[in-house]
Amino acid sequence: MLKGADIVLKCLRAEGVELVFGYPGGAIMPLYDALEGSGVRHILTRHEQGAVFAAEGYARVTGEVGVAMATSGPGATNLVTGIADAKMDSVPLVCITGQVRSALIGTDAFQETDVFGVTLSLTKWSRLVRTIDEIPEAIAEGFHWARSGRPGPVVIDIPTDLLKAKKDFSGPVKFRPHARPADAKADGGFTDTGLTEKIVALLQQSSKPVALIGAGAKLSGSIPELRRLLDQLNIPTFATVHGLGAVPPQSPYYLGMVGMHGTRAANMALHETDLLLVFGARLDDRVTGDPTRFAPHAKIVHFEIDPAQLDRVRPCELPVIGNLGDTIPAFQAELRRHSLPDFSQWRSVACGDERAELDPRGLAQPTIRFLDELFSRLPQESVVVADVGQHQMWAAQRYRSSSPRGFITSGGLGAMGFALPAAVGVQLAKPDTCVLCVSGDGGFQMNIQELATVHRLGLPVKMVIIDNKYLGMVRQWQQLFYERNYAETDLSDNPDFVEIAKAYKIHSFRLNEDSMREFPVSTETGDQIDRFLRSPEPELLVFDCAPEANVFPMVPAGAALSEMLLEEEPSQ
Amino acid sequence: MQSFYIRYRNTQGTLMRILNAASRRALDLPLVQAEPAGHDHQVTLALEVNHKQVGQLYREWCSIADVINVSSGLAQAAEWAAAHPPVGVTMEESRAAARA
Repeated sequence: MLKGADIVLKCLRAEGVELVFGYPGGAIMPLYDALEGSGVRHILTRHEQGAVFAAEGYARVTGEVGVAMATSGPGATNLVTGIADAKMDSVPLVCITGQVRSALIGTDAFQETDVFGVTLSLTKWSRLVRTIDEIPEAIAEGFHWARSGRPGPVVIDIPTDLLKAKKDFSGPVKFRPHARPADAKADGGFTDTGLTEKIVALLQQSSKPVALIGAGAKLSGSIPELRRLLDQLNIPTFATVHGLGAVPPQSPYYLGMVGMHGTRAANMALHETDLLLVFGARLDDRVTGDPTRFAPHAKIVHFEIDPAQLDRVRPCELPVIGNLGDTIPAFQAELRRHSLPDFSQWRSVACGDERAELDPRGLAQPTIRFLDELFSRLPQESVVVADVGQHQMWAAQRYRSSSPRGFITSGGLGAMGFALPAAVGVQLAKPDTCVLCVSGDGGFQMNIQELATVHRLGLPVKMVIIDNKYLGMVRQWQQLFYERNYAETDLSDNPDFVEIAKAYKIHSFRLNEDSMREFPVSTETGDQIDRFLRSPEPELLVFDCAPEANVFPMVPAGAALSEMLLEEEPSQ
Repeated sequence: MQSFYIRYRNTQGTLMRILNAASRRALDLPLVQAEPAGHDHQVTLALEVNHKQVGQLYREWCSIADVINVSSGLAQAAEWAAAHPPVGVTMEESRAAARA
């Protein structure tokens, strides 16, 4: 006879789970009581939101399902932002929540919330377990939905009495899904060989084709085939923020990130194109700008696993529905049998010097210079985890790695406070990898308590705070669009982050913009950064920067990509 | 007003997810009728929707775990369940659909 809690943990082990992130409480206490000897390692964070973001970081960098646990009521509701984040960014996540005992459900009992109802629209699937017998199938089915098709979050809510109940346990079960209408289309995939001919015909009719790479291309695991395909196509190519790293940045046809803070060349090419090949991107409004003026001359070929993403913002002419792990290799193999037009003239325009960034070395922006110095000194297989805001966009713009899972950030939801706990999850997944956590002073404070988790575990995370003493991105919008009415964005009374780090027994130091005014940086500054990055201990570097630096290019809300605002060229 | 018929397995939350696909788009639900249909269930919804929303709803309903089939009285319904828009759609029709 096993308790329900033991059954939960055995089923988690059967799903390959070795690590869970969580925070205990009343309703979920029986599950915590069963942890010892279960083979599941629990990581205690200091807030449930820290737990779910850490589980996300783990999942984002490994591709495995991240698992977060919390108690009922406020514990469960504290997971909601992370669940929404996983939904938006297609992160495989299973959240196990304790619930009040079965007899009290629906009575507004102490720490009771309808987490099933609250998370309904944010989850791929969820279950309020009603009997101990349901536990194995609930976990098996939950993991199936979390990791299959377009990955996403799942909630399994278990009343505390079921965790304490006992039954004979014959072992974990396998979930066998029914066929679904969406699956029928996904299985169709690329077996229709006429698709290649249609795409080739579109290419032959076009004079300005481009390719857009999104997260789906990376999630599919077909990066080598994608890179061969792009070499074959040899057309101007760019990436969403989640597509960064899919294309080696030194590729001659690669134009960087596209969209609201994308490069000038990428945005111009996307606006001018007459044929857009989309690989695993959902054409989010941060990428399209005004959807009614998005790629106004283009026909769209959309490689996508999730049919629900088609027609969401802009209809496509030719959907290729299926797992990109199947469709990209199939298309790449078939394309070899066709000769393509010569797009060298278009490429020379789209990728030419006239469209290069106006300040490629960041001479006018010490913060950019600082990020360039950091990134240039990172070890080869590092992971950068960015929070949300101006620093996020600068980091994305300057990121030059070709590691597909090397840039982790909250993209679709844009949840501040993501980076520090996510970096915890990333470091635990990749203990021998340099993990650089880049935050703003606003976002860092939203989950600052996770410094305790970093210290307790001795995680050698390298944390950077870009401290401009403002809620920087909001301030930028207020400057540009609200006549500098800086309402409630002043953070000039920030605490001393160096002293806070010391209180958490983490070494910390400060640099400021003056250290970035020399080009190249001084030997002393370079040595400080190198020592910071190579320390075997957790470290915090606070970079004090000007309060009114702005991120450019910028496509204002409601504007077309061609209407982007540009930075000024630095005076020589 | 358009009618939609969604056949589904009546598992926990499935009907709520079907209705949520409409409510999250600020669509009123003037008529909702759910009933057993053989081994499964069927819900009939009447919705005031535009052209673009039909495709979005179809695709979202089809992506719900225990939805079995989606159908409608709309003439173009079959198109929305397949490749969309049909290859013959012009650029102007495509842009008009984006503005809808």
